[in-house]
Amino acid sequence: MGTGTKFSDISLDFMRPPEQVMRLDRMGSSHQTRLSFMRSLIRRMSNEKWQFECLRRDIDSEGFGVSVYAVTTPHRVYSLIAFTQDIPPNRRTDRVIAEVWDATFSLYDGIPTQEDIDYLEQNTPKQEGGRFRPSELVLGRANKSLRLFEHVISSLAKGKQPDVELLSSVGYLMRTTAIYGSGKFGCADREKIASRAECRGAFQIELLAVYLIRWFTIDLVEYVAKKRGGKEAVRLDPSISQFLGIGNSTGLGMAPFLLKHPNLIHSWVLAKESALARVRGIEMPLKGSLEKFIKSLYRVSQHLMEWRVDDEAQTLRIDCLRNEIKSLTNWCSNENNLVKPYPWNIIYQHTEDYYSLECQELVVSLIIEPHGPLVDDLADTMFSESIPKLQVDMPISQLNAIVKDYYAWATTIDFTTTKSQQHFWYYSEDKLEPRFGSREDEEGSEQEMPLTIGRDTHELTDALLLVSDEMLVADFVLDHPQYRHIIRRIQNTFIMPYSEVQDNLLDESMLPLNLLRFKLAFFGASKFDPKSELWTRISMYQGAPMPEYLSDSSHDDWYFPVIPKQFI
Amino acid sequence: MTKKQLTISLNEVIFFFTRAGFGVKAPIGIAEDFARSNAWIAKNGFDPSLCSIGALDNIDSQYSDLKIQFKMTKNGGHFFCASDLYLSSLSASVSVVDRINLGIKYNELVVKNVDFPILVIAAMGANKCNGVQAFWLDESNHEYLVRFTAQGVWEVVSSNSQPIELSKGANMIIQPISSETSLPSKTYLKEYVTANEKEDILQTGIKVGENWQGIYDYFSRCLVKSTAESRASGAGAGLVDTD
Repeated sequence: MGTGTKFSDISLDFMRPPEQVMRLDRMGSSHQTRLSFMRSLIRRMSNEKWQFECLRRDIDSEGFGVSVYAVTTPHRVYSLIAFTQDIPPNRRTDRVIAEVWDATFSLYDGIPTQEDIDYLEQNTPKQEGGRFRPSELVLGRANKSLRLFEHVISSLAKGKQPDVELLSSVGYLMRTTAIYGSGKFGCADREKIASRAECRGAFQIELLAVYLIRWFTIDLVEYVAKKRGGKEAVRLDPSISQFLGIGNSTGLGMAPFLLKHPNLIHSWVLAKESALARVRGIEMPLKGSLEKFIKSLYRVSQHLMEWRVDDEAQTLRIDCLRNEIKSLTNWCSNENNLVKPYPWNIIYQHTEDYYSLECQELVVSLIIEPHGPLVDDLADTMFSESIPKLQVDMPISQLNAIVKDYYAWATTIDFTTTKSQQHFWYYSEDKLEPRFGSREDEEGSEQEMPLTIGRDTHELTDALLLVSDEMLVADFVLDHPQYRHIIRRIQNTFIMPYSEVQDNLLDESMLPLNLLRFKLAFFGASKFDPKSELWTRISMYQGAPMPEYLSDSSHDDWYFPVIPKQFI
Repeated sequence: MTKKQLTISLNEVIFFFTRAGFGVKAPIGIAEDFARSNAWIAKNGFDPSLCSIGALDNIDSQYSDLKIQFKMTKNGGHFFCASDLYLSSLSASVSVVDRINLGIKYNELVVKNVDFPILVIAAMGANKCNGVQAFWLDESNHEYLVRFTAQGVWEVVSSNSQPIELSKGANMIIQPISSETSLPSKTYLKEYVTANEKEDILQTGIKVGENWQGIYDYFSRCLVKSTAESRASGAGAGLVDTD
């Protein structure tokens, strides 16, 4: 299975195979789990007693200016520098090609000097148009939720708490529209920080920036409300602060990322599937774990009631999910169904037999949840620094066998049809915005990104028919260099079987949204709110403890958050 | 990204050089390896745009050929280009590494008329071909010997002070390190410890000079012109914030 994860023989029996897991429809039904990156980051913050402090708040009564928020970890300090400005409403867009934002951010490695802040003031608000240095780890921006931002400020200024129903319908005060790390626009390369314990896991430094942004948005509304309301103003009720997440709009950029980092994706999926297998492999349930699970069904039912979106397809899925969770709750209330060996496997199997993919993946999350001590170590395996290597000494006969075993999904597609190659992925000259074009209607398919895995595999198999089985890959690629990348990929899949999406990404029926949701669920996102087939809004850190509550014993209990009881 | 003096990251080297290679119609697998070689170049303190612009220009202007042939010989094998053009270092570099990875112990590989030897060296470095050396006499009659002496340590011995990245047009001989190789008569020696150089560039970034513009221009060939229709196919199209 590739990475260092170990299984007992029993757990191995419960591993779901890649051909089941790595299909777009299932990937597009993913939910966050306790291994998701935000969850593991919050646990680290709490366990290591990270300290948070606002170092600077040079903003006017409307909230415009510069602020600095620092977090002290056991070995280092990181600082979020936030620039806020007044922008025309008609220029507020979530797209990559936007040029102005309500707030822009840099996460700085250490505590910035005035000189650093002056430099960033000239660059951070320009985002992709600025240039950054290895001292900057993350670049990001956010726009206000117009509905909520002013409502919260005006309520607090009058000494009242905001309308929680309205708050729940949005879920956040600001919505990030891009978070860049890993060397983008001159920022620090991942290699600079990869050996730091707090940065080793996937996207930890980016998600730290997002956590600080969420804190900043709440601090900002409280500050502006205080300026406006004076003595009458109040702070947000802590339970409301905790319920507020930070929004995010995610578009097509995530799709190429998944394809370009197969080993990383394998490590994520392997960890999640290992966790599921470990839980399914428990013969006798741990004390109290089944009760926790049953309780979580009620909580998730409430969460589903509060998960409301405009998208018709997703609304239908949520409706179906509500009914299925209700049905599962009833089924679980019959003790005869669960008082048997391997109860978790029975629950999983029942779900797989009777319910939708959306429900199956939700139940995966829920049955993993009560098993922190059993699975949390897997969160430390969810990264990979390796890249696929060409194995030049492999005979063509072995390559053919791997294609047969792992790429049947590709070799059985008829790529002569228009439908099978309806789409192409490309970068636009407009700020390098990734786009998903129609081959028939748009120009530029000759510049398509090399995400044509299925088609390339199909063409390779034809070419392999013409050469000897004994030929080595080294000799084949010398004569056929156009297949170098796909052979490397196929060989890698043999070692890392969860690395490949087993569907045709060019097909007429392809929904990029499925790829986005898959990745966002690993981040720990919730309340997926699709806005088209190409992009979605989500909520991050909704329900997560604010900095001053990280030491609470309930710091890890924020999955599938619901409106605070006292405000219902 | 088109300024004359710029500091970039390793991630940007990978991103832009992969597409720059693809922009001159190198197969994507070769372009990916070309980018990784350039990351290695950057990690050793060189300007990757200076090291690579000539190789890309040569392919683009058809002074170099990406088509490569290999002939086994008694001592190992020869890589060559069947046409009168230079052999492109983009093809030569990956083919040499592939052959080394098959095991060239006690053998020698000859790479005939390769345009920019530095890219072959970079591919060997990026792929940790330790215990291997490369010797060549270039078309300016400058001699070079590069030895990969240990993990992450390599040295350049040359007959002149011309930077290795400017050496052009050579027959390279690649073989296991041998103490019997005769050194260039007038010797300039420089040793590189990749980890040290890399630590510096992770803290300060990679400085690229005026050739960066050329790399960016080749990269830009992978971008699709924006039209009203294509703008409408971007994520978030047509939407102004309403939440």
